[in-house]
Amino acid sequence: MGLKAYLNDIVEAVVTTAKGMRITARYGVDPKEEVTLQYPEERWEIPKGYRGFLHNDIKTCTACNMCVKVCPIDCISLESVRGADKKMVLCSYDINIGRCMYCGLCVEVCPVNSLLHTSGYEMASVALGELILHFIAAEDAPEIKARVARQVAEAAVKAAAQAAAKAAEVPSSGTAEAAKVAEAAKAEAAKAPVVEPKAAMEEAPQAPVSEPTVAKEGEKKE
Amino acid sequence: MTIRTDALPTQEMTINMGPQHPSTHGVLRVILTTDGEVVTRAVPDMGYLHRGLEKIGERVTYAQYMPFTDRLDYLAAMNCNCAWAWTVEKLAKIEVPARAEYLRVIVCELNRISSHLIAFGSYTADMGAFTPFLYAIRERERVNDLFEMLCGNRLTYNYARVGGVSGDAPPGFLEKTKEFLDYFEPKLDEYNNLISYNKIFVHRLANVAVIPAEEAVAYGLTGPNLRGSGVPFDLRKDEPYSVYPKFDFKVCVGTGERGTLGDCFDRYMVRINEMRESVKIVRQAVAQIPDGPVRAKVPRLFKPPVGEAYFRSECPRGETGIYLISDGTVNPLRLKIRTGSFVTMNIFEKVTRGLMIADVVAVIGSFDIILPEIDR
Amino acid sequence: MEALAISLVNAVPLLAGVPLWTVTLLLMVAVAAVILVFALTFEGVGSLVLRKVAGDIQARIGPNRVGPNGMLQFLADGVKLVLKEDIIPANADRLLFKLAPYFVFVGSFAAFVVVPFGVGLIAADLNIGIYYVMAVTSLVVIGVLLAGWASNNKWALLGGMRAAAQIVSYEIPVGMALIPAVLIAGSLSLQDIVRSQGGLLGIFGWNLFHNPFTFFSFFLYFTAAQAETNQTPFDLPEAESELVSGYNVEYSGIRFGLFFLAEFGDMFIVAALATACFLGGWNVPFFHVGTLPWIWGNLLSLGVFLTKAFAMVLIMMWVRWTLPRLRVDQLMRMSWKYLVPLTFVNLLGVSLWLLVFRGKGIPGMIASLFG
Ligand code: SF4
Ligand code: SF4
Repeated sequence: MGLKAYLNDIVEAVVTTAKGMRITARYGVDPKEEVTLQYPEERWEIPKGYRGFLHNDIKTCTACNMCVKVCPIDCISLESVRGADKKMVLCSYDINIGRCMYCGLCVEVCPVNSLLHTSGYEMASVALGELILHFIAAEDAPEIKARVARQVAEAAVKAAAQAAAKAAEVPSSGTAEAAKVAEAAKAEAAKAPVVEPKAAMEEAPQAPVSEPTVAKEGEKKE
Repeated sequence: MTIRTDALPTQEMTINMGPQHPSTHGVLRVILTTDGEVVTRAVPDMGYLHRGLEKIGERVTYAQYMPFTDRLDYLAAMNCNCAWAWTVEKLAKIEVPARAEYLRVIVCELNRISSHLIAFGSYTADMGAFTPFLYAIRERERVNDLFEMLCGNRLTYNYARVGGVSGDAPPGFLEKTKEFLDYFEPKLDEYNNLISYNKIFVHRLANVAVIPAEEAVAYGLTGPNLRGSGVPFDLRKDEPYSVYPKFDFKVCVGTGERGTLGDCFDRYMVRINEMRESVKIVRQAVAQIPDGPVRAKVPRLFKPPVGEAYFRSECPRGETGIYLISDGTVNPLRLKIRTGSFVTMNIFEKVTRGLMIADVVAVIGSFDIILPEIDR
Repeated sequence: MEALAISLVNAVPLLAGVPLWTVTLLLMVAVAAVILVFALTFEGVGSLVLRKVAGDIQARIGPNRVGPNGMLQFLADGVKLVLKEDIIPANADRLLFKLAPYFVFVGSFAAFVVVPFGVGLIAADLNIGIYYVMAVTSLVVIGVLLAGWASNNKWALLGGMRAAAQIVSYEIPVGMALIPAVLIAGSLSLQDIVRSQGGLLGIFGWNLFHNPFTFFSFFLYFTAAQAETNQTPFDLPEAESELVSGYNVEYSGIRFGLFFLAEFGDMFIVAALATACFLGGWNVPFFHVGTLPWIWGNLLSLGVFLTKAFAMVLIMMWVRWTLPRLRVDQLMRMSWKYLVPLTFVNLLGVSLWLLVFRGKGIPGMIASLFG
């Protein structure tokens, strides 16, 4: 290495260091350059469409099971029973938020927009179980099931009564066809509640069919 | 550079560098055999982050796999998202609306910037200068803000969809993007003044771990690591996909300006220059973006035809190729992912021989590896 | 110390019956305590300032939670370090492992003894002042080496070896860069060196401006001394991103605290030496502090000295947060190929200058030109 290169090296080192130090000095003395956000006192503005915790408005949820199917990591589970008006009634809806990766696929797929992202992002708990969000309290599930079953039974009784009334009407008229109609109506009334639990089972295999419903329907069958 | 060790033989020592080490960029374990400070052998031991992403792909549907691509390279999730979407679209021959393609290019290039920022920042931190790292993080935060506005998340975006993107840009997004570009471009000069041409930094990088062009090609390096060796190969130019042919940008290659062609400094500089090119692409895309729908009609129970497809795209860490076989059901039959970082690790043992321990850190940083891509 | 004891005994009649050596001993303990308190306070505050400066430079805030504006952060840190469990690795060499932090701490703390804080404020005005500092701070390297060896950790060992190589190599340029000040003052005593920069020339009386060679000397000293204190860009023994944390990787609790304190102590010593040897020490520009009453003179000079020293510390922090780290071989090359030859050339230059111009500096000549 020649003397010139040697000196050049030194000069270059000094110059580049000085350049760098000028930049750091500028940041050092300029208070406007501080970008720290003093969380939790200060918070950033959460944009619309932020994918935070999930929230299900169970009033509008139709228990269609789409979200359960689309979730890649199976963190949603729901249980539903067929109500008196043939619609599914939710009796539990849980999201394991500790497992959820906030991918938003479930929200995108929800046909009635009942499942939505909130802007929440803070949660701390000491037990893993606390991370499962129950949108319907676990205690309420049997109650809902019982209520739905009662409603279904009532509707069935009503339908049967109606059919019976019709049937009663028919013999007075004395035609054979009328008797046939009454028979069909009766059978339908008896059949309807029996078929339903099976359908519910197919749709949500993880949702066990509740005892009381089965028992009542069994009675009905007889 | 190599240091003569034959003059004063000493006993060799085996050191485990990682899997918990500040500079291995994750859970990489390097088994170093050193003679004092000189590394005689450095064997990377991978697999600490293996999650079976390819196997998972065979279990979930095409749409459900999208969030998993976020985890393929979490610093460039947008690129991986889009790579998956492009592959499935190629397989099923789905036409994507133009606006969606433009949005994809915008987010891919923004993500390239943010990924290269991390590469730049963590590299300088590895070299002992902590300040540029925080500057880089500061700029990256702005990109994250943009993405948060666009798709609601800051790291695992899950933005692309088969047939388009998950949602149109919210009002103000494109303006905000332009604002960011205006803010960001001068910062690159600042980085160069602050650290890139700093004498110590140059000395740490120049002539270290030189990879000649033929060797880089032979070992299958891609992305900035290949271009650092002076090979002007960029899939965006050489095998154009999406709307890339519509943009005017340059392929950055190493020039050997401070040392030998293909050394750590070249690889580093390629990334810095690529950020500038990405800014240029985003500017053009924002100016040209057409109106229209952002999502093609894809049936909910999407079943691609029987067949296979291989699609490769230019991700920040090299070429990400996805090979997909479909048997006509909702799940892929087989999925194979080729990632840049994994392939780069092949040459690691070769180039680190005879370097110092500090150089091993420099080499890992200059490859800009990311562990989820290596282990998948 | 004995002189002070005699004057004390003379001043306070009550002490007349006490043997002189007792008074001297007590005085020594008292002075040591004062210096220790100062050193600890400086080290605490220094760590806080370091983090604040880092925050400012890095576009963030830095510690601001403990006390007003984070002022008490160092106390919290200190309490934490003291209360933490002191872990000794199972396979460590226990005796050496325990001993190492004390070597390091004593090495840096002992140097405080000869720091000329004020016109009369110096624990011991040794006539070998600079020599003593150089010798005592070398103790640090033994501590670091022991720590690296005793931890039984390969990273720590590498850190220790690096530290030893580094400090040994940089001791030479540090010493050579300080000699010009010694030549000008004609004494190794730091007080004498400071006094030689007084007079009515103001800041131009400083050795820094004495002649071009001393000017360069200052920068050479400053660069080399940064290496001696293991500051970035020369923080190889710790090298967070390479050696994880270097020689102190296995230390925890108060033993780690001692390393930490020593680091800041070293920083102050370097700044103090630079101030004393090149920046006029406690001299107040255009003013002779000796003419003031003892107490005011000392207070004023103490203030001036500390201001200069702290400014130097700040610059060191500034450099630390700007530059990347050198590699081991580059570090050695920098010392042997650049700093050592340059300091020698410089030393030669200063000697020739003093010979040719009979000890007069440029400002002095200009002053005499104008009468
Ligand atoms: S956000 Fe994703 S992971 Fe979370 S529940 Fe919905 S689909 Fe499952
Ligand atoms: S997709 Fe929506 S409506 Fe259907 S079950 Fe889920 S939350 Fe309820």
